[in-house]
Amino acid sequence: MFMLMHVIDMGHDVYKANDKVAEKNKKKLDKYQVFSVNVMGAIGSGKTTLIEEVIRQLKDKYKIAVIAGDVIAEMDSSRFRKLDVPTIPVNTGKECHLDAKLVEKALDEIDLNNTDLLLIENVGNLICPVDFKLGEHLRVVIVSVTEGDDIILKHPMIFKTSNLAVINKVDIAHAVDVDAEKMRDDILSLNPNVPVILTSKHDWESLETWISFIELGVKKSQNR
Amino acid sequence: MHEFSIACEIFEQVMATAKEHGATEVKHVTLQMGRLSHTNPEQLSFCFKVLSEESIAENADFIVEMIPPSLECECGYTGTVDEEKIRENCEFKSELLAYAAVMECPICGKPAQITGGRELIIKSIEIETEDQN
Repeated sequence: MFMLMHVIDMGHDVYKANDKVAEKNKKKLDKYQVFSVNVMGAIGSGKTTLIEEVIRQLKDKYKIAVIAGDVIAEMDSSRFRKLDVPTIPVNTGKECHLDAKLVEKALDEIDLNNTDLLLIENVGNLICPVDFKLGEHLRVVIVSVTEGDDIILKHPMIFKTSNLAVINKVDIAHAVDVDAEKMRDDILSLNPNVPVILTSKHDWESLETWISFIELGVKKSQNR
Repeated sequence: MHEFSIACEIFEQVMATAKEHGATEVKHVTLQMGRLSHTNPEQLSFCFKVLSEESIAENADFIVEMIPPSLECECGYTGTVDEEKIRENCEFKSELLAYAAVMECPICGKPAQITGGRELIIKSIEIETEDQN
């Protein structure tokens, strides 16, 4: 008996397989006119807090649902539930990002007929979520001044691929010896057309800008 | 670190294809990895090794070919990034950053769209089968 050698072409793109599921998710969300936001950012950047502000201000006008992704998602989920919005915790276990399949499964548990805005909180880091689309309409990256003002150029791809960048906790920039304007310039050097918002949870005006950006997306979705 | 779950997907796809073709051994697995993807080739190779223990892919060579980023500009330019410019940017320690920093059109200088360099493709496998004749 002889052994034969063969080369078999596969051409299987691992990320494209995820993109296909993401596209399916997006179509489903479009069908129900749900505006979805993928909120990315490092641990402690303020993702949960800024999402809470959106919920507080918009929940009387729009029907909101949340997908809370985390290694252990229960903590953040209970914060959102306290605000009386349906929340699906997605435990990623050892994984460092949400992917389209996890979101697809979570969507089955959400009453999309009764949802205008879906906020998806991704797992906290600036690296792993970048390559995995979820089916979102808006990709937001939140970075806080406490991460240091060289953080942006260290993680170029997340800023290059986002549609909105938020620099958070600017009220304490001086205390941590960081120039928030340098952070803004760095983001714009990587992605010249991305809107950049500077926020602090103690500055209501800055929160209003953040919230109105999300509301604009919801309105656009409803008029489609 | 998400190399392990990606390696799982690669291992599953490789084994399914190998089985479909009646393989007795997988000799090579060749991947194409975009330089802008957030995957580490060494870690991925290590994870694949661990996963393939005691399988027909146990001794497979895991080959990773790196793909440079490609660009598309509104002026009509399409192509890969300017290698000269990357060398000029060698002050940057991170290769990824050096690539991202030069993502502007070499013709008109405007920021260009990234059209390639983020992929992770299982290109091919080389397998051994028994000759039934």
